[in-house]
Amino acid sequence: MSEPSWGLWGTWEETEQHLGKVVGQSVGPDPVEKGSIRRWLEPKEFACDIHTDAAAAKAAGYDDLVAPASMVFTYGIAPYWQPGDSPAQIDDEPTQIQIPVIFDVPAPCDKSFATSVEVEFFEPLYPGDEVTCASKLVDIKHKELKVGKGAFLRQEDTYTKQTGEVVAIAYLDIFRFVAVKKGEE
Amino acid sequence: MRLSDIAAGAELPAIAIPITLQRLVMEAGANRDLSLIHHDTKVARATGAPDAFANTFFLMGMFERLMREWAGPAARIRKIGPLRMMIFNAVGDSVYFKGTVESVDAAAGTVTLDMWVESERGKTVTAKALLELQD
Repeated sequence: MSEPSWGLWGTWEETEQHLGKVVGQSVGPDPVEKGSIRRWLEPKEFACDIHTDAAAAKAAGYDDLVAPASMVFTYGIAPYWQPGDSPAQIDDEPTQIQIPVIFDVPAPCDKSFATSVEVEFFEPLYPGDEVTCASKLVDIKHKELKVGKGAFLRQEDTYTKQTGEVVAIAYLDIFRFVAVKKGEE
Repeated sequence: MRLSDIAAGAELPAIAIPITLQRLVMEAGANRDLSLIHHDTKVARATGAPDAFANTFFLMGMFERLMREWAGPAARIRKIGPLRMMIFNAVGDSVYFKGTVESVDAAAGTVTLDMWVESERGKTVTAKALLELQD
């Protein structure tokens, strides 16, 4: 297995060319359903019957069993493999979560991590709903941190369902940088 | 929970949860963030983290649990964030999700919350949230 990539390499001028543009779009492969909700609740030890029982959700004012609000991210992620894709090879680069401002926007950086996220929720997600996500690069701020020199890239993600209704709008701040080598700190 | 029952400064019942590699693997499979830093010790350490660490979706979901257990099924979660990650929540850490009511807006029918995560490493994450409640 080769080392994972930490982003698309390029110049800061190339990064700037993507500002204000849609840099990625993903279509979640799985509609909202009980099984994926239960598996999402499990590692959080999260017991709440509006997410598992339609009658309880209706009693709380929802139209049906409702997915947790923050599960919108999960339903908007594109598949890691789908029919038609090439078979994996042992020395392939590992597939990571698709964050367009890391993997589709070039920058002269070899590491990255998320520092802040903000999300506003609108329409609830019900069983059968399907989610798509459009990502835009909306801000670039150059900065030097302890871990290295780079820039904060802000990604605006708009999540919509098949009806065209907006489910959520999220802002994700990613720090992309060149790591400080040992002895250079 | 009704809006009229809530006052600024009220504490949300805290949640304790241990971060184990098994939990991170289960979480990654369920929330679909399969980035290696969240389940591969070697890759996580190469970025300066002490070990594989909890991802943003887990933190968001745990804050949702904190709010939901306090506010009840009728509350509507309108906003989470800014959620800021300052210190890693890594394998071997016992973490606590906590929160207090920052303010109540009776006219708008909303409550603003201040929430955070604590571990032996300190305050690792902070997050605001906006909830809508019936009166």
